[in-house]
Amino acid sequence: MTILYPFPAVIGQEHAKKALLCALANEDIRTVLILGDPGTGKSVLARSLGSISRGKKVLTIPQNITLDRLLGSIDLETAISTGMVRLAPGILEQGNCQILYADDINLMDEGIVSNLLNISEIEDILLEREGFSHHARTRFLLVATMDPAEGDLSAGQMDRFDLCVTLDKIEDSELRADIIRKRLRFEKFPEEFIREYGPQVIDLEKTLEAARERLPYVSIPEGHADLISSLCLELGVAGQRGDLAVARVAKALAALDGRDNVIFDDIKLAALFALEHRRRDVPDHPPIAPPQKEDETKDNEKETKGEEEGTKNQDPKTGPGSSDRNHQQGHIQGNQQDQQEKDKKNLPTPLPPLPAEQVFGIGSPFVVIQYLNEASRKTTRKQKSGRRTRVISTDHSGHYRSFRLPGEDRYDIAVDATLRAAAPYQQSRERHGLAVSVKKSDIREKIREKKVAHTILFLVDASGSMGVRKRMVAVKGAIFSLLTDAYQKRDRVGLMVFRGADSRLLLPPTQSPELAVWLLQTLPTGGMTPLTKGLADAYDLLTRGKYAAASENKSVVLLTDGRVNVSWKKNGSPYDELTDLARTVAGTGIRFVVVDTEEGYPLLGRARILAGDLEASYFRLEDLCSSQLVGMVQDFVYNIKR
Amino acid sequence: MTVKTPVYPFAAIVGQEDMKDALLANVIFQSIGGVLIRGEKGTAKSTTVRALADLLPEREVVKGCIFRCTPSDTRNLCESCRGKIDRNERPETESVRMRVVELPLCATEDRVAGTLDIENAITKGIKKFEPGVLATANGNILYVDEVNLLDDHIVDLLLDAAAMGVNFVEREGISYSHPARFLLVGTMNPEEGDLRPQLLDRFGLVVDVQGEKDSTLRSKVVKRRLAFERDPVAFMQHYEPQQQAIRDRLLVARGIVTDMEPDDQLIDTAVKISLTLDVDGHRSDLTLVKTSLAFAALDGQNKVKREHVMKAARLSLPHRMRRRPFEESRMDFGTIRALIEECYGR
Repeated sequence: MTILYPFPAVIGQEHAKKALLCALANEDIRTVLILGDPGTGKSVLARSLGSISRGKKVLTIPQNITLDRLLGSIDLETAISTGMVRLAPGILEQGNCQILYADDINLMDEGIVSNLLNISEIEDILLEREGFSHHARTRFLLVATMDPAEGDLSAGQMDRFDLCVTLDKIEDSELRADIIRKRLRFEKFPEEFIREYGPQVIDLEKTLEAARERLPYVSIPEGHADLISSLCLELGVAGQRGDLAVARVAKALAALDGRDNVIFDDIKLAALFALEHRRRDVPDHPPIAPPQKEDETKDNEKETKGEEEGTKNQDPKTGPGSSDRNHQQGHIQGNQQDQQEKDKKNLPTPLPPLPAEQVFGIGSPFVVIQYLNEASRKTTRKQKSGRRTRVISTDHSGHYRSFRLPGEDRYDIAVDATLRAAAPYQQSRERHGLAVSVKKSDIREKIREKKVAHTILFLVDASGSMGVRKRMVAVKGAIFSLLTDAYQKRDRVGLMVFRGADSRLLLPPTQSPELAVWLLQTLPTGGMTPLTKGLADAYDLLTRGKYAAASENKSVVLLTDGRVNVSWKKNGSPYDELTDLARTVAGTGIRFVVVDTEEGYPLLGRARILAGDLEASYFRLEDLCSSQLVGMVQDFVYNIKR
Repeated sequence: MTVKTPVYPFAAIVGQEDMKDALLANVIFQSIGGVLIRGEKGTAKSTTVRALADLLPEREVVKGCIFRCTPSDTRNLCESCRGKIDRNERPETESVRMRVVELPLCATEDRVAGTLDIENAITKGIKKFEPGVLATANGNILYVDEVNLLDDHIVDLLLDAAAMGVNFVEREGISYSHPARFLLVGTMNPEEGDLRPQLLDRFGLVVDVQGEKDSTLRSKVVKRRLAFERDPVAFMQHYEPQQQAIRDRLLVARGIVTDMEPDDQLIDTAVKISLTLDVDGHRSDLTLVKTSLAFAALDGQNKVKREHVMKAARLSLPHRMRRRPFEESRMDFGTIRALIEECYGR
């Protein structure tokens, strides 16, 4: 008997629990994703499914699983002892009719995740490797968890999940206290605790059993079926998976409730479970209105809806922070202004005060396009989260991903693969008293994969010109988004600004950049533009001293309009100096990205010239935003009037 | 007979009370979830962790079990021990001392998680699991020096096992799982790079150590160290009575904490704090409650007092106060102090 926390003893999280019950009631639901912050009980909830699944086991797919164990591979023992090629089934085949559980799926190897999601859908394992082929049917329920702050799955991968629920934050103090008490009791007297929940577990199992029996007889009335498709269309859900998932969940909800007819409420809840994660380009920090009083909320909902239509028609070029229509944003900025006033009073300004100095808030965040990748893409695999670049490791470190025939000079033997290669020949080979005889041709070598950290230094123009038309608001919004992106990809990030006569390193490159937000908020704008000096200092920082050796990949992301009006070495025109320096540092191993912040007329295009001199990638500030924000499902769902 | 390398006695370590208390609390109440010690070089981090080994209590384990399962701990048994207990067999037991298992920085994935036993595969043609560091660490202390320099995939592996208490291995043709409950102790020098906040949250307690500022204490540190190096055996003998006193204290405390139940006052305080700090998860609540109980027990008391909660809060909360990578919630410890005083009096 394995000891599992009983499902009914999970406090709160009614939505997530409902979604999981649906998955158990309707076998056509094959994948559930649970999102939540650390410590909110994602894993506890996922694993507790085993306590009510009656006979279905929860099999854990570990983070570092290798492909041979996922899909299956030749059975070593049989091959050696009998010479027969048999398959040792992988966990996906062993999981047939069971529940598979993958923790932190967003941190897993890309190849593993795509195989996992693909097979869960096609219910078919087709294996062609090591000289034999294998085909098997498998059907399992996949329950995965992740903390979105650690990185996202791709939109395509998200779409493969039938349901996706986010764990609520529990704010009721009674409930929180109850959670502590229950958890401590469970840790201390697990058997007794499980016994206490025995009756509730049995009730739940009966409900599930009845729901499964009823399910084939549950139907969706014609009008409701139309509603599902129009919902999906309105929310911009691509493909048909969303529609199907809503229908399946709605049926399961009706069956759990003991009804043969799907009602409107079933569809509303089902849409919440099945569509939220399918909206294209989910913003990282969704603009959810804080809970407000009844009447206020209604007004807000109307407003939000209006805005969403506005947002939809909005030209994608009108980027972050530039839209003042969004009341959410206004709200955020208001707060920040208060904060800034406080900061101004209490804290010494980081730089000597200059006339006309201003402090701007941070514009609204957005999802950043893959702006750093084009150069590294050729040599590395497609990546999603975790570190930006994965490279094939040349020493014995890193994660064992696959194997190959060995190269000339080095052996990092993949013992399992080597033995599998040798296994079928054992009957005919002279074995010298050993069980296995390995020949040189059998030897396989490990391919290990290592993640390489990037160091990204953001070099920001904070001179007076950035204050014009509050351009700094948008710039800060962009830096914020870039920092978030860098954090999720586990880059090391630093922040350097230049204005007045000098540059200043606000944040030395670190993996823990939350400090940057605070620095960003209090960052004043004003003064002259010593761009050349800033560039020289950034280059020095990354090429000398302790950051020089810190990582193999170094980038400078320069946010500027390309204008310079302070001479660096006082021996020439500022622009000539800049051109000279740019051409000197170009091609020295540091990658440069120029983000052009210039706007208005006339456009001088200085940043583009600088990018050319630096051999840098060039983006306009607005182009960094991967798409406009799309409205929240909740707003749609709760606004539908019958 | 193995030669015992002399270890600097725990009782002889000058100052660093927070670090010592945090470690002792975890020894008597393992589910607190480990300790991360942050500090500059030469602040006795490693010395203290290694010194802990000599104080650790003995425990009953199943004889011959490679994972050293404790039969009474029914939640965490390996397959073989689980089978024996389910069949109502009484496995033979022996008493072993908890020990400090070190994870070297260069450890490879297969050595940490365990892998295919090559010898058995080649000589006998059978597939057998060769246990790794996580198996050795079961029931013991797993010590990672410079945890911030460890490869990400190894850290993920450690934290996964620490969180579930089980090491699931599905790799290199091997499918195996075994209990991996260990007390995770990490040390790091923040100057050499930070840990991600997500990883910080997984450590029960975080202690920031600083070099001793007081000059008389500083010279005391040096004098003792020199005395130890001159004649380690005599030095250890000299401290043996004090070491024994700590061992006794640990045994008593462990007895107390097993019977202790948190009262409403403590739970309410924990909840109030986490709501004020606006933390989403429940790890901070649980850690605060457990650590307070442990500190009371270490004082030989079965009632939690204000100073216990205060100290527990100081070690369990600051690293959790920054919620998300980019949200601002730098709260000052004064707020927490005020809340505790509100519940427990000044």
